[in-house]
Amino acid sequence: MRYRADFHIHSCLSPCASLEMAPRAIVGRARAAGLNAIALCDHNCTFNLPAFAQACAAEGMECLYGMEVSTLEEAHMLCLFDRLDAAMEMGERVYDSLPPIPNRSDRFGDQPIIDLDENILGFAEKFLIGASGYDLGTLLKEVHALGGLFVPAHIDRAIYGVISQLGFLPDEDFDAVELMPAGDPALALRYPILRNSDSHWLDSIGSAFNEFELERLTVENIRAALSARV
Amino acid sequence: MKVSDIETFEGFCCMQDEYTDAEVLGGYTSDLLSDVMANAEEGSVLITIQAHKNTVAVASLTGIVAIIVCNNRPVTDEVLTAAAREGIAVFQTASNQFNTSSLMAQHLNGCPAR
Repeated sequence: MRYRADFHIHSCLSPCASLEMAPRAIVGRARAAGLNAIALCDHNCTFNLPAFAQACAAEGMECLYGMEVSTLEEAHMLCLFDRLDAAMEMGERVYDSLPPIPNRSDRFGDQPIIDLDENILGFAEKFLIGASGYDLGTLLKEVHALGGLFVPAHIDRAIYGVISQLGFLPDEDFDAVELMPAGDPALALRYPILRNSDSHWLDSIGSAFNEFELERLTVENIRAALSARV
Repeated sequence: MKVSDIETFEGFCCMQDEYTDAEVLGGYTSDLLSDVMANAEEGSVLITIQAHKNTVAVASLTGIVAIIVCNNRPVTDEVLTAAAREGIAVFQTASNQFNTSSLMAQHLNGCPAR
């Protein structure tokens, strides 16, 4: 099957994302943009993945379950799973590792946890934008042990990318690296490249995407397809 | 001042003592490693809260002779092993980056804080 996939989309749980980013709205917009696979990646938290999973199942949209983790280096890493339970497990570990700083919604925005019908179930209490307790290497090991893909996010961004934080792209077992939509592929060195929209608003969903020819959308198949590209 | 002199500073715990006892020529304080890489000078001590293996990698590339980890941030064995391989000392202190920098500057300038 031919996939057109945007693997970096935030929901309203991320305080910096628009409140319109509810699971059904995301799926609807993704379909309209010509995508047939998406992943939800909120900052340091997976609390909206259950509603996202339900929305994708209800609408027949294939998906991965993700999270964008801020490491101790303050670099962002996409962690992508094909099993919801594995994503939720990693999400719990990362949320627990966040410092106990409460979110100030007046300054940073709300962090609502919602259900499929956009009812607010509660709010993520800790501020989700700070650095988690995970350094890059430890996070990578745990994500791989739980069967996920590990992809440094927007490595060519001036902030929160691994190159802006470390000064170089380390030699690690990355499954791919994410570049900005128009980013220079030379920066990716030997790693396969993903380009995603990093959408915080509905309009930008699908503004960057990846194409794959896969039998099924699984971590294993994506990893194989990515490694065949380099 | 030599790296080994830092072992005598009050509140400094030497976590990695297989180091080259070089002359300390200066200091650089930063938690952004790309900044360290761009601006730290060879022979400096690095004062930081970043205590992971890429800190050692950057220290090695820039000729940092010792890493001082502030706020008692935990340092893993992996980091200490990497630092030993590179001959870079690792110290830990409860003091923050500002006070550690101030203390190091006074020692480097020959009027140690008492």
